[in-house]
Amino acid sequence: MTTHSKTSWAATRLPCLGSLCATFNTKNRAPDAPYVQAFPFLITVAAAFLTLSGIVLAVYYNPWHAFDSVQFIDRDVNNGWLIRAYHATGTTLIFGLTYWYLFRAMLSRSYRAPGEFVWLLSVKLLVVLLLTGWLGYVLTGGAAGYWSLFNASNAALSLGGLPGAVGTWFFGGPAAVGGTLTQTGGGTLARLEVFHGLLAASVLLLLWLIHASRKTISAPVTSQRAVAFYPYYVAQYFAALAVFAFIFVLLAFYAPHLGTSHFNNIPADSLAVPVGAGVPWYLAPAAGLVGVFASATLSIIAGIAAVAVLYALPWLDRSGINGATGKVYGFFIRLLALDIIGLGIAANTHCSSSAILAGVFTAWYFFHFLVITPVVTALEAE
Amino acid sequence: MAESAASHTTAPTRRDFLTLLTAATGAVAAGAILWPVIDALNPDAASEDAARLIVNVADIAEGTAKTVQWAGLPITIRKLTTAETQANEFVVPESLPDPAGYTSRVNAGYPAFVVVVGLNTATPCTLEGDAASDPRGDFGGWVCPCDGSEYDPLGRVRKGPATKNLAIPRYSFLDAAQIKLG
Repeated sequence: MTTHSKTSWAATRLPCLGSLCATFNTKNRAPDAPYVQAFPFLITVAAAFLTLSGIVLAVYYNPWHAFDSVQFIDRDVNNGWLIRAYHATGTTLIFGLTYWYLFRAMLSRSYRAPGEFVWLLSVKLLVVLLLTGWLGYVLTGGAAGYWSLFNASNAALSLGGLPGAVGTWFFGGPAAVGGTLTQTGGGTLARLEVFHGLLAASVLLLLWLIHASRKTISAPVTSQRAVAFYPYYVAQYFAALAVFAFIFVLLAFYAPHLGTSHFNNIPADSLAVPVGAGVPWYLAPAAGLVGVFASATLSIIAGIAAVAVLYALPWLDRSGINGATGKVYGFFIRLLALDIIGLGIAANTHCSSSAILAGVFTAWYFFHFLVITPVVTALEAE
Repeated sequence: MAESAASHTTAPTRRDFLTLLTAATGAVAAGAILWPVIDALNPDAASEDAARLIVNVADIAEGTAKTVQWAGLPITIRKLTTAETQANEFVVPESLPDPAGYTSRVNAGYPAFVVVVGLNTATPCTLEGDAASDPRGDFGGWVCPCDGSEYDPLGRVRKGPATKNLAIPRYSFLDAAQIKLG
């Protein structure tokens, strides 16, 4: 009663505050809701971990001596090793949860109306996370991150016209990237640090929007088992949180830098290219997809197209709002998941056939969305 | 009324206990997660060490001073002679440009030592007067070679253009032989 009167007191004076708080209270939840319902909540928990640890890292991080400052955080700062483990594990889990969440959304076809707006927001979340994750990986100042930045910025600076101007603006021009200012491009890292923080803030905004829009589409549970009273409807989240916490602890203490290149543990050297350095697992599929193309322009177009087809999925699916969810299309979605995993593996393997495989996997990715999705869903809907 | 009285006397239920247990576990977990993050913003051991300089004052002869660099400032530690103490102990503070009593300028436990920032308070110059052979002015303390301001052995300004006494840094005596700055 007290809480209610407080809320309404504030809400009458600032109406948007009431709707902001209401976003986080979704009543009438079934106690046996699928586990995937808790994923946006868990993604938010991971984002909170990343924000907390990121604030501490930003205090000590120095883009002009990136690698040394990361070593300083690891060795000298109180609990600095733990803060880095928080940040790295938070990254692993936020990507794992987001990929899994998108996969489950495709499998359950929840991207169809009225869920298409949530789907669009979730795809945006993945794109912003990929960009933020890449920037964070580059900011470490390790050899692998440096050469990833070197290749990407050189490709961007070689472009003409507007894309080249955007690339110059983003990376701060060739002087900031190259060896003229400092060996490891402190000028570029300084601005990438700011962009990393800005994108992280937009991740939080996107998560809030996802929570708000999910609330509007979640149909009230009519069964007898629906729980409407706080804190009973949040109790299921505690169970999800306990599993999350267990996995988080295992990763943070035993594999904090899971799936990232060992070359990031040596400082960047502009005269020594690390042979066989790969990108972190969470960036690997995207890196594989844009890496298929030799020209920078084509790579950018491919990256935009890959997001565009994912974005257009609610309209590429021809089965209609209440159409059947067929098993054949479900098979193809699982095949797409394997295709994306294969793309990531191909991006991080350096043998003669990996380039061909990456090309095949990329071709299948577009084939899945542009041909299989409309045809199979239309056939199965009948 | 009878109901509320009954509920007051009811023993805690299993649910009460579980709620309490959950809340307590949650509070401990939140604290355990947050404490490393908060503690990480405390100064690290190396910088804390560098910021707290320990100076040996046993080797300072009476009537002389030694100057060390701390926090970018010249810190002057002077050991007073009995004559210097007697000459300055009972000066009426109100008669000085920047009134300050004897007890406010020295540590009560170790009154023979004066610890000041050795920078003139008008023109920022390093003062002369640490060694007995240095010029010390009419009041036997320090003289500024740039503008001629004079200070007494307690670091109080006696002659302008300076108008402020020498600043006293944060310090504490570890024992009779060691001062910790910062």
